[in-house]
Amino acid sequence: MIELIHITKRFDHTVAVDDVSLKIDGGEFCCLVGTSGCGKSTTLKMINRLIEHSEGEIHIDQKPIRSFREDVLRRRIGYAIQSTGLFPHWTVARNIGLVPRLLKWPKSRIDTRVEELMSLLGLSMADYADKYPDQLSGGQAQRVGVARALAADPDILLMDEPFGALDPITRETLQLELRDLQARLGKTIVFVTHDMDEALRLADRLVVMHEGRIVQQGHPLQLLREPANDFVASLLGGEDRGLKEAALLPVSERMVPLGAGGVARERIDQTASLREALSVMLWRRVERLAVVDDDDIPIGELNFRRLVGARVND
Amino acid sequence: MALGLLAWWSLPVASSAPNRIVPGDAVYAWQVAGPAMAVLASLPMALAGWVARQPDPGWRSLGLVLLALLGLPLWLVLCVHQLVDPQLPQARLGIGAGSWCTLFVLLLALLDLRTRQRWPAGLYIACLCVPLVVTALCLPLGLDRLALWQEYRGRADDFWLAVGEHLLLVGATVALSLALGAALALLMRRLPALQRAGFGVLNFMQTIPSLALFGLLLGPLAWAAQRFPWLDQLGISGIGWAPALVALVTYSLLPMVRNTFVALEGVDRGVIEAARGMGMSRGQMFWQVRLPLALPVLLEGVRITTVQAIGLTAVAALIGAGGLGRFIFQGLGQAAMDLVLLGALPILVMAMLADGVLGNLSRRLGRGVTR
Ligand SMILES: Nc1ncnc2c1ncn2[C@@H]1O[C@H](COP(=O)(O)OP(=O)(O)O)[C@@H](O)[C@H]1O
Ligand SMILES: [Mg+2]
Repeated sequence: MIELIHITKRFDHTVAVDDVSLKIDGGEFCCLVGTSGCGKSTTLKMINRLIEHSEGEIHIDQKPIRSFREDVLRRRIGYAIQSTGLFPHWTVARNIGLVPRLLKWPKSRIDTRVEELMSLLGLSMADYADKYPDQLSGGQAQRVGVARALAADPDILLMDEPFGALDPITRETLQLELRDLQARLGKTIVFVTHDMDEALRLADRLVVMHEGRIVQQGHPLQLLREPANDFVASLLGGEDRGLKEAALLPVSERMVPLGAGGVARERIDQTASLREALSVMLWRRVERLAVVDDDDIPIGELNFRRLVGARVND
Repeated sequence: MALGLLAWWSLPVASSAPNRIVPGDAVYAWQVAGPAMAVLASLPMALAGWVARQPDPGWRSLGLVLLALLGLPLWLVLCVHQLVDPQLPQARLGIGAGSWCTLFVLLLALLDLRTRQRWPAGLYIACLCVPLVVTALCLPLGLDRLALWQEYRGRADDFWLAVGEHLLLVGATVALSLALGAALALLMRRLPALQRAGFGVLNFMQTIPSLALFGLLLGPLAWAAQRFPWLDQLGISGIGWAPALVALVTYSLLPMVRNTFVALEGVDRGVIEAARGMGMSRGQMFWQVRLPLALPVLLEGVRITTVQAIGLTAVAALIGAGGLGRFIFQGLGQAAMDLVLLGALPILVMAMLADGVLGNLSRRLGRGVTR
């Protein structure tokens, strides 16, 4: 658990972070969003003391972070950044093994761990272990960056726009993998981004910052439905918020039992989002879709009125 | 190649003199053994020039250049036999501008081939060594009559002593300025206030003419030696190796500090941030990340410093620091150009060797770093 208590950060005379209080539970995926320069990175870096806070207290698992030695603290916290920061003169395997080496793990344990992480992130040992960072694509390099951050199995992972420089397709793949990874490993992740779709897709807790302050925080759906002010509303997409919300809800949520009218011709998977269902309706010019399970067997039906959320008996 | 041929035909290839003092008579290529021989001798060069224009010069071109290089010492042997009177023990053959130019053009051709053909470096080194070996083998055949060789034989011990002095002075300069330069660069990184002042002073010192700096040091050091006799006993005085070393280090400091500083500062910020974020200590960051990544640029500084010091040490001979510069100034004083060459040629070779070896090392390391 990470707790920021009335944190302020001043650089000379500019106030980068202004009286921020934030509590992130263990296993939570927290995204910090906001326009550029609003203090997201500064907030993140204060957690592993890359930047020292000016006022307030930061606790990790109830203990103030200043009670740890800086490097000891950082070795316990994974850190991944947009530029990857991979060491260009080290191989992929050596890069990943960095923190375990700093922690003086025995060599055999480091080797096993590196192998484990590479397979976890879909990097084949034979192909990539001995490559150098400049021989990797952007997506592969970022995978290595994440693997390095996870190497010593830290409870907390700090990520500063890690996918910001990737093409949209690679970015989406890595987002889904990270989401998956987090669900499996139960890490606490603090993730900075200015890409709202990325934040909505990943976050359990969305924290909107503006000029060094937290404007609103909560579950993405809550923020979409009840934005605290116009700034949050427009940041979350303005008129597009309906589509963004639909993207977060699964078809199964609005499905009705199979009716008497027979099974519709066009189908949609029950795990697809409402947004995808809407897209299929628009594309196929139909108002009804058959909802199918993993084995492609119809288990229900989605009609247009239900999709847009109109009450059944209206 | 055309340039080489032009030089071959228009400049004297050699000069012959009965002894050291008399200026030699210039001899043109066709005067050595008739025009036919001169044409024959220039044939490989002409062919090499022609082949180089073909779409795929490759091996043929290399072979011809090599042939021309090998031919050069043999040609000189021929010159000796034709031009030098064997009865006069002091008679000698000076190598003329035409021959030097030809050698120069041939070396350029080799360099050009090297940039165009990706053959292993060893091949080119071998190409350079073969003519040297042949020249050495030709010594008993008459090349011992070359003025250069005569000058060398007269002072062989002294020559090697001078080479030793030269190398020692350069080595000490590079080592000292590396240590001092690195310390200064590190200090500047810690204290930004020192940066501007430091570079200002170093830049200023670089602009003082070398001779003036040597002169400026005469006074204070002579005074110090008088004041403190133990300094004198160490050999430190207004003239000799001490002021030379001080001046040489002064000149070397700027390129050394600048490159070290730029090298250390130039390391990617993201890499440094990651290193810190992963929990590396200051020492670990410096030794495992910053230094290895800075090494190629740092070595570049060592290369520049070394080459510069090799040249400047020649000037240091003026204040009695010894080294190969001695021959140059002696030769100039006695108007004996071959003695000047005896000093200048090894300096040239040293500088080129240092340049090549250190440049190569830096590139090789650079490849590892930017991978
Ligand atoms: N090292 C620094 N020195 C001075 N000002 C800084 C420093 N780092 C960040 N700032 C300022 O603090 C503010 C917040 O920066 P940052 O946290 O990087 O924003 P972002 O939300 O884009 O990550 C900006 O106005 C920036 O100019
Ligand atoms: Mg930022």
